[in-house]
Amino acid sequence: MSERLHRGFSPARIFAISINTLIELTRQKVFYVLLLFALLLIGCSVFMARFTFQQEFQILKDISLGAMSIFSALLAIVGTARLIPQDIDDRTVYTILAKPIPRFEYLLGKLFGVLLLLAISIALMSALFVVVLYVRERTVLNETLRQMSRAPGEQLDAAVNAIRAAGLNIDILTGVAVIYLKACLLAALTLFVSTFATTNIFTVVVMVFVYFIGHLQATAREYWLEEQSAGWVARTFLAIVALIFPDLQAFNLVDEIVAGVAIPLVLLAKTALLGIFYTAIYTLAATFVFYGKEL
Amino acid sequence: MNDLPRRSGAEAGAAVAVEGLSKVFPVPFRRKSITAVRDLNLRVEAGEVYGLLGPNGSGKSTTLKIILGLAAPTRGRTKIFGRDSSLVESRQAVGFLPENPYFYKFLTGEETLRFFGKLCRVNGSRLKSRVRELLELVGLTNARDQRLSTYSKGMLQRIGLAQALINEPKLVVLDEPTAGVDPAGSRDIRNLIVDLKQRGITVLLSSHLLTQVQEICDRVGILARGVLVREGHLEELIAIENRCELVLENASEALVKEIEKLATNSNARLIDRRKSTTTLERLFLEATQESESSAKHAK
Repeated sequence: MSERLHRGFSPARIFAISINTLIELTRQKVFYVLLLFALLLIGCSVFMARFTFQQEFQILKDISLGAMSIFSALLAIVGTARLIPQDIDDRTVYTILAKPIPRFEYLLGKLFGVLLLLAISIALMSALFVVVLYVRERTVLNETLRQMSRAPGEQLDAAVNAIRAAGLNIDILTGVAVIYLKACLLAALTLFVSTFATTNIFTVVVMVFVYFIGHLQATAREYWLEEQSAGWVARTFLAIVALIFPDLQAFNLVDEIVAGVAIPLVLLAKTALLGIFYTAIYTLAATFVFYGKEL
Repeated sequence: MNDLPRRSGAEAGAAVAVEGLSKVFPVPFRRKSITAVRDLNLRVEAGEVYGLLGPNGSGKSTTLKIILGLAAPTRGRTKIFGRDSSLVESRQAVGFLPENPYFYKFLTGEETLRFFGKLCRVNGSRLKSRVRELLELVGLTNARDQRLSTYSKGMLQRIGLAQALINEPKLVVLDEPTAGVDPAGSRDIRNLIVDLKQRGITVLLSSHLLTQVQEICDRVGILARGVLVREGHLEELIAIENRCELVLENASEALVKEIEKLATNSNARLIDRRKSTTTLERLFLEATQESESSAKHAK
């Protein structure tokens, strides 16, 4: 073994670290608390006030997708923030990096572990959301069929189609995918901050600010650049903010999905590319900082 | 596969070579800096047990971290079997046990070894047999399915040593391997180090427990405030040139008096005469073992 030549990049090593990170994260109570809250919220959304079936489905989608977005973001930030500092505090990082493992493999393994956890959590939340929505859709359909049993065929078809259009459709999956991408981006950014942060609290606080700035910067940009005649100082400042902070508003497609507006494929592709780009950039930045870090 | 750097003839024999190493830590927000290691040169030959000694804060751990590529030197360079420590492949043949190691507590002993094995690309049946061998070697076969959160300090050190050996290293670096371990656990680790030496594995260890170092090290280096103040073979360093010891068994009082007389008549001076004693450690081990075996018999 000792004489075996070193291989620069090993997916197997990254996989081993990812699985270990996933187990580590699932042992944290915060994961279960967050997931339980999210599932409860999605489950309870079925008891919300009902006016028309469109309103009911809108509320259900709004609450469920909103809960998935917030809880996946929280999981991404809280879960990632402690990974590297904890390993350094416990000296586990020494035993790992004293083996022939490049630092970027270690970081990628940690990040992929978080991304796996996010995928599992979002899949669980989505499954519950789809079941709830499906059950409500079937109930509304049955009620409509019963009430309109004597109505003309075209009228009945139109009612059924309207219910189906407002209920379970492919755009929900699009919304879930965008929520996942946003969570991945936040996990990568948290990983980057945690490579130079001194405490977990610092990382979480920074990420909370980043979260709000990321959501507000698009509105601020719009206001300053379009409604105000911004000078070069304001323009430069906004450009720097746009470069450093991710535009999280770009990942907010929930409103369109709730309103039943179909998401164009081009917009989805652009959002996906933006998410992947941000995630890759922050992972690269984390690797760059971590390579220079004295352990 | 990557081409490995060629080793020069002079360095081929050295498991570890440290040349002109200095490490300075700047103090943030102040115009001050702390020199942890100053112009250090040392060489650990293949197959020997080398002890790096020194008080707390003397630069031992920093030196080991630089050798392992975990920290960067300010000046100088370190090599492992002729390969620069900054290269990942230099750690191909290295096992490391840090001071007071904490592993992932949610893993069992066996899972821990499997995890570290996978990191070293030991897989399948090879990994399975290696894990079994190592658990046996460190005496943790019965605790293989226990989570590390339930392990004692000594057991953690032993599983740490086992993970350091998972990739069949040619060099094992141990930072304070017996710190905080009770005498029995400490003796087990010492025996394991002796076993490693017999297998031809080079051991570089840091410690401030001098008695243990004296028992197992071939050569030692003493660091003080980051400077290597002494280095050499242990016997040479601790020998007092103009003195010798005679240890007699079943000697009569008359014989002892005769020897004393001979010494007085020559130019030699008898400095001390005392009854041979055992060590406190040996006494402790014997007493605790007796107690354990009588408890077993009682059962």
